[in-house]
Amino acid sequence: MKKLGLMLLALILCASILPIWGSGQTEGAAGASEKGMVIYNSMNGDPEPRRVDEKLVADFAAANGDIEVVHSIIAHEDFKTAIRAYLTASTPPDIMTWFAGNRARFFIDKGLIMDISDVWEDEGWNQSYAKSWQAMSSVDGKQYFLPTSWYWWAVYYRPSVFDSYGIEEPETWDEFMDVCETLKSNGVTPFAIGTKYRWTAAAWFDYLNMRLNGPQFHIDLMIGKESYADQRVKNVFTEWGKMIDKGYFIEDPAAYSWSEAIPFMADGSAAMYLMGDFIRDSVPSSIASDIDFFRFPIIDPSIPVGEDAPTDGYFLAANAKNPEEAKALLAFFGSKEVQEYTANELGRLPTNGEVDMSIFNESQKKGIEMINTADFVAQFYDRDTTPEMADEGMNAFMEFWDRHTAADIDRITSRLEEVRQELFTE
Amino acid sequence: MTKKSRLYNPLAPWLFLAAPLTIYMIWVIGPMLYTFYLSLTKWDGLTAPVFQGLRNYTRLMKDPVFFLSLKNNFIWIGFFITVPVVFGLALAMALNKDIRGAKAFKALFYSPMVLSLVVCGLIWSWLYNPSQGLINTVLRSAGLGELARGWLSDPKYALGSIITVAIWRQVGYVMILYLAGLQSVDPFLVEASLIDGANKWQSFRHVILPQLRPISIVVMVISIIDSLRAFDLVSVMTRGGPYNMTSVLANFMYIESFNNYKMGYGAAISVILFMISLVFIVLYLNVVMKDES
Repeated sequence: MKKLGLMLLALILCASILPIWGSGQTEGAAGASEKGMVIYNSMNGDPEPRRVDEKLVADFAAANGDIEVVHSIIAHEDFKTAIRAYLTASTPPDIMTWFAGNRARFFIDKGLIMDISDVWEDEGWNQSYAKSWQAMSSVDGKQYFLPTSWYWWAVYYRPSVFDSYGIEEPETWDEFMDVCETLKSNGVTPFAIGTKYRWTAAAWFDYLNMRLNGPQFHIDLMIGKESYADQRVKNVFTEWGKMIDKGYFIEDPAAYSWSEAIPFMADGSAAMYLMGDFIRDSVPSSIASDIDFFRFPIIDPSIPVGEDAPTDGYFLAANAKNPEEAKALLAFFGSKEVQEYTANELGRLPTNGEVDMSIFNESQKKGIEMINTADFVAQFYDRDTTPEMADEGMNAFMEFWDRHTAADIDRITSRLEEVRQELFTE
Repeated sequence: MTKKSRLYNPLAPWLFLAAPLTIYMIWVIGPMLYTFYLSLTKWDGLTAPVFQGLRNYTRLMKDPVFFLSLKNNFIWIGFFITVPVVFGLALAMALNKDIRGAKAFKALFYSPMVLSLVVCGLIWSWLYNPSQGLINTVLRSAGLGELARGWLSDPKYALGSIITVAIWRQVGYVMILYLAGLQSVDPFLVEASLIDGANKWQSFRHVILPQLRPISIVVMVISIIDSLRAFDLVSVMTRGGPYNMTSVLANFMYIESFNNYKMGYGAAISVILFMISLVFIVLYLNVVMKDES
């Protein structure tokens, strides 16, 4: 009896440290599914996108009095960890925000995403959306995804800061390095970056890899066809390490999230930030009109130009309980009017070809021009490769940031290569 | 005796226990056994788990991040069973007197315990902020700028910076436990030892401390279990970074399971964490039961 009691007590105490069941198992936003309801989960956690998202839902609810929208906004990072629980829940959210391309394809291949070819057909999207968007959303000729907005990555800077040091937008790598030297000699750190959540460093890897080795090599590396131990990958790290050693980046980047590094630009102690256009949502109003960008400079003009231009959109859960209502909401999100509104409010670029191009401001036109003149468009490091590879890769970038002798680079790349073989050969 | 036997029904305790035990089986034991099973599978959280024997465990044995996390857990234990225990006991001894303001001091030292770990982690993240945080700002204005550093981003200091927060929070808790323990110390024995010529230290070392033994064991075990459970602070302050240098097993498990979707692998980490904890808990229960009988 005593033994039993002892064991029982041991189990009770132990159970409190088995945390795997404690978190992550989030159920859908609401349980009951009555007629006239749609559950919508989105990851628009930042203040500006959140405001627009809520406004759109309110507009939809006003126009469709018979449909109640149960809307939950989940912080970006949390959403990414919760998505699998959502999709496999018995009552999943009916409609969700997600990333286009490989990250969506993964769930489509698992049969978790609803075929929405009928919505594409009924809404005339097969005509109004460019073929490239349709192709991005299709598997075996059926559509499963609706891309609604995209944005570009570029090097952002403050024209007033550049002017005060007599600097112009660089186009070539030599010009770029000259800009960095000029800033450095004036006591300004060339680049702000906050790597607490790591992906900001992945942007540097993407661009250096595409500029040095070309977009085809980059994308082959992302899908596991090329080796991380390749000399070309080491060249990327070597070039990057030189910039770190020259003090081109702010100190202790790992202590800041991406937006916590913006104050360095705002107070003029750092000059540039390699970032997506969503940086505009988070810059303080004092410098909002003092922000411009240029294409990540070209290292080798003979190499095709690749750019990161991630695309976001929506999909429906395969076992959605309210498919009709969800499709109505999807049709609303894909409409010309909503895309125009979002483009105006957030500066994200619309995918619906019927949106009037004249509504764009100068910055948007410049961004579109930049992407239109690129030879290849990638999504982003953690969207183009698998989540496991991205996690290992981004950890490696962080380690590399602190340790980047030639020996370190050899060690880091060969470990990444081991991971790649493990992940892509299974 | 007769009265007792009339009321005593051998089934009664089990009847009372039935409801909580059922709930416990469903919500704790069941999932726990399922976790054991999952640790033998490969599962991405979407498709059905695929049984693959001990493969997750053999992979763990080759995973440097696992050993790094394990090492960090033991470093955590090392600090946790010394620093807060010494400080907590010292505070308890100092405040276990009828001095003015003792109650206020007790409340002050205990107050961090009231905050959730997530809140502690956020507050200290701001204190540690390299450019605007209080710590570096004070150091710089005191002319000690060379001591300022990226507390949470420098791999040499990151783990220590997190453990410091955990210790800061734990000291008050240990103090309260010892204050309670000191109530059971017989004042006559202490007095007698002093009359017999023992100095304060000798009286503490040979009279008070032995009487605190049961409490000390509780404190040790709680400290060890809390160290093994360490997750919240790491998750909030560094997510295990920079590059896993502050990773602990619970955080490692979380990242593998819910970020990388390797549920089976995560379950295997959980099981190992469970085994380690089990060793300490059984040791503890042995001591407690011996004391009781």
